[in-house]
Amino acid sequence: MVIDQERSKFEHVVRAYSAELYRYAYWLCRDRFTAEDLVQETFARAWQGWSGLRDDRAAKGWLYTILRNEHARLHERKQLAIDPDQELDELMDNSGANAFDAFEIRDMLAVLPETYREPLMLQVIGGFGCAEIATMIGITEGAVMTRLTRARQALRRLIDPKPLTRAKES
Amino acid sequence: MNCLEFRRLVLIRPRLITAGRQAHPERCARCAGFAQSVAHDEAAIEQAMLVPVPEGLASRVLLRHGIRGPNRWSTLALAASLLAAVGVAFYFHEAPRQGDEIVSAQRFTANYTAVAAISYVLDHESRLLKENRAGDPKVMHAALSKLGLSLPANIGSVRYLGKCPVTGGIGEHVALETPLGHVTLILVPDQLFASRVVVSDRNLRAVAAPTRSGSYILIAESSSTLKRIEAMLM
Repeated sequence: MVIDQERSKFEHVVRAYSAELYRYAYWLCRDRFTAEDLVQETFARAWQGWSGLRDDRAAKGWLYTILRNEHARLHERKQLAIDPDQELDELMDNSGANAFDAFEIRDMLAVLPETYREPLMLQVIGGFGCAEIATMIGITEGAVMTRLTRARQALRRLIDPKPLTRAKES
Repeated sequence: MNCLEFRRLVLIRPRLITAGRQAHPERCARCAGFAQSVAHDEAAIEQAMLVPVPEGLASRVLLRHGIRGPNRWSTLALAASLLAAVGVAFYFHEAPRQGDEIVSAQRFTANYTAVAAISYVLDHESRLLKENRAGDPKVMHAALSKLGLSLPANIGSVRYLGKCPVTGGIGEHVALETPLGHVTLILVPDQLFASRVVVSDRNLRAVAAPTRSGSYILIAESSSTLKRIEAMLM
């Protein structure tokens, strides 16, 4: 009976979070197949440690942390074939930008350094607050705020290369 | 709250609404414009981050853990999709990825899928285009979705949509006029190609690659167009 309840709870969690975890995984590794493997591995580890989960509300953050660790482990095993120079070349070639906004922005996101991209992903995809992101990636909340600001500034410069208007103190 | 503080907070969390965040732009038009522009960019960033999720992902996860007791048919369907996934993984393991190394068609026989597709395009596509059988983009998007692929809604016009022969079967032939130029996409739902291969033949480049539930061949005049359209296919 208890096992059935736990299984049902786990099923609910898988259905609720597998899509967003896949997207987070995709942006970590930028490979569709590896992203799905990471999601599978994340839930496998989550199921192994399911009995240790005391608070259901913590499940989402816990899953993201597992996935992040799995990705780091994968990176240790093999360096994923990502060629940053090639992607920078693509970023320079901005023809047809209006027609392919989402595609262009994906390119821009891909060249954003991981230290900036990751807090942004956790906020946009996962909906986490700065304090939660800070705990997940092991930096201070202030550092998360700085990275989020810089990430958005960098993307805004890429999306619209016009100079930003400066704020005046009022 | 002053302008600097307001803008800092907008860049940290554009969607957060607080009393202070609401009050400031009411008395500062420049900051109101700034917030609007950040909100616009944020929507674009969010849209770009929402990459398509493979169909049946949650069910595959649950099946792996034996959590769900689905009915017989869905078990078979899930088993088939798992087999397909394992098949792709096996093929990837067996055949080393060629990355973007462009292989000359001379290294393959004329029957090799990507080479045969280029020949088909060169021999038949101009005639098919003259028939003016513009395709319904909805049909194209549905066919893409069956293979777990997608293209942006504004990819361009579908100049032709129909069946075509591919090595060992039948494919969906889509001729697209995009802002990057003319491209041909051949969707092959029933075959899993062994590996991703980029082939150059005559004046065309083609990439043939497996997906989770089939394969595709993309043909364009230049490598850069090929690469960019293929990246959009995910």
